[in-house]
Amino acid sequence: MSHFWQYLRSFVLIAFITAIFFALRDVLDKTLIALIYLIPLGFITAFWGLGPGITSAVLTFVTFNYFFIQPYHTFAVHNPTDVVILIVFLIVAVVVSQLIGRAQAGQAMATAREREATQLYELSVALAGLHDDHAIAEILAKHIQAISQGEAVELNIMGAQPFVFHLPESDPPTRTPELIVPIQAVRGVLGEIRLWRTAPAISSGARRLLQTFASQGALALERALLAQAESRARVLEESDKLKSAILSSVSHELRTPLSTIKAAASSLRGKEVGWDSPARTELIAAIDDEADHLNILVGNLLDMSRIESGALKPKREWNILSEIVGSVLARMKHLAEEHRIEVEIPENLPLVSVDYVQMEQVFTNLLSNSLKYAPANTTICIRAHVEEETIHVQVSNQGPQVPPEHLERIFDKFYRTTAADRVTGTGLGLSICKGIIEAHEGRIWADNLTNGLAFNFTLPLIWDGATPSQLPIDMETE
Amino acid sequence: MSNAPHILVIDDEPQILRAIRTILTEKQFKVTIASRGEEGLTLAAANEPDIVILDLGLPDMDGLEVCTRLREWTQCPIIVLSVRDSEREKVAALDKGADDYLTKPFGIEELLARVRVALRHSARAQGTQSSVVKAGRLTIDLAWHIVKLGEEEVKLTGTEHKLLAYLAANHGRVLTHQSILTNVWGPADADHTEYLRVYMRQLRKKLEADPERPQYILTEPGIGYRFIADE
Repeated sequence: MSHFWQYLRSFVLIAFITAIFFALRDVLDKTLIALIYLIPLGFITAFWGLGPGITSAVLTFVTFNYFFIQPYHTFAVHNPTDVVILIVFLIVAVVVSQLIGRAQAGQAMATAREREATQLYELSVALAGLHDDHAIAEILAKHIQAISQGEAVELNIMGAQPFVFHLPESDPPTRTPELIVPIQAVRGVLGEIRLWRTAPAISSGARRLLQTFASQGALALERALLAQAESRARVLEESDKLKSAILSSVSHELRTPLSTIKAAASSLRGKEVGWDSPARTELIAAIDDEADHLNILVGNLLDMSRIESGALKPKREWNILSEIVGSVLARMKHLAEEHRIEVEIPENLPLVSVDYVQMEQVFTNLLSNSLKYAPANTTICIRAHVEEETIHVQVSNQGPQVPPEHLERIFDKFYRTTAADRVTGTGLGLSICKGIIEAHEGRIWADNLTNGLAFNFTLPLIWDGATPSQLPIDMETE
Repeated sequence: MSNAPHILVIDDEPQILRAIRTILTEKQFKVTIASRGEEGLTLAAANEPDIVILDLGLPDMDGLEVCTRLREWTQCPIIVLSVRDSEREKVAALDKGADDYLTKPFGIEELLARVRVALRHSARAQGTQSSVVKAGRLTIDLAWHIVKLGEEEVKLTGTEHKLLAYLAANHGRVLTHQSILTNVWGPADADHTEYLRVYMRQLRKKLEADPERPQYILTEPGIGYRFIADE
């Protein structure tokens, strides 16, 4: 359609110019007319293309002959000079048209190349530094959409976690895409680009550009893969370091109770300790206590490894916080003989959705930490209250404060504020608390008080988008 | 000696088997041991033991499976052994018909207490059962629906009474949340642990001297509750 208009416009222009010349036929010399004719011809080729240019050149040759070479209004030529003029005119007109047309095409190609280069540059800038498959797919799809003006673009990314990204967000058309370009990397196909575009048909240039885009995308995806592999390697290395730290800490910690048990058991087995000797009872008690201690150590290690591997999944149920605290206190009674323990948990505190056993673990660890560091005859206080959408729990003691810069680090593994040999333990207790609380979508932190230290944590009141269901109405008996 | 209760222990760890056998034999029980599930099932069928002590972590088959297959033909008490932090497994075993559980490592006193409860329970199941359960100052008459603390009658709501009666009738045994909810509220409410928590608190407030440190109704963390009656 547009070609038709270009030709039509060219012919109209030639007709117009010819009309002017016709009017001035007696004044203008025919060689001058031939020369001036070249101007619109150049103009036509430059603006409307080579086809109309050449056609107009031939048309002009005809009109020139018909109107301006004597005898007028015939195609006959009598004067030999006129023959030369006509032939020269035809050659010049065609050559000029062709030269202009070629220059024009060359420039158009250069512009297109420049545009492609710019688009490619923009894409590579946008992709630089991305290490996430989804982000890469999104950027790639947006750029492809921009250059292709397609109806829809879909990216099928394969790999460990395959996914599909498409633009626009609505589902892509059901028909087969007009163009499928594989995303080919060194190590194989990473995915494919599907493009839907009905009209105009996809040119070879656009196809080439899309292929370049695909290889850019492949590079970015491959880079992301490498970065992920590298960070995995780093994590492994760190966990290796952590494991050796655990091993050294643990073997020391495990040996202490084991030595006690071994010493007590072997002396009971020998004949040194009499049946009725009070030492016998004491040795037996030591074995029992140290076995419990060992059990706690092993339990802590297990918890820690579960937290580390993300396997700690709370079995959440609606629970009464004071019941959990009560059972912990009952179990720790013999450990807390030198301290006063106060519990301030309001009667009407809402139920909280927690894993009973894990929450016991949190209270046990926070309490035993407080018991370990706070001097004898001081008070340890457990409080809880509702704060906005959470329950805020505080376990405070009158023990030594922690330097403010270390308040966050006390929840790190193996972190100690005092020299390691002064207080026993694996140094895992608080980091286990942190792991458990975070698995419950809560937050844990420590604060210095004027005369001690407080551990705080929050637990969400809403679980699974709900609060506890209403109790059924109970019938009173008479 | 021939009348001594017969206990079958199924566990794959030789040290545990050795310790349990030594102690139980010392306490005048007849003890048979098996280190594999299949072997345990065969011995159980051959000997018809009074109690089965079953480790849930067996090399050849799942302990839960052993539990289920035992329950197909015998009602003898099953006490399961498992490690810490396997509450789900314990609850599954209890729901599959096990009577009680012990967490490794356990003290021998705990083991003996569980064995005594199991024996008493199976005796009760066979013989007549007293309708009065006593625990400290608490007296529960299951037949007449009367609960007394000392001399004074305790006023309980319908649900509270149903709950207490179910616990007391099974005194000494651990009852899972689900089994309590199913028996007291009905199967439709089996997941509403919150009902149980709230009613348990009310009940403890009415019965216990210190509701936070209960003496009669003990919490079995992550599993359920256990009513402790006088021996």
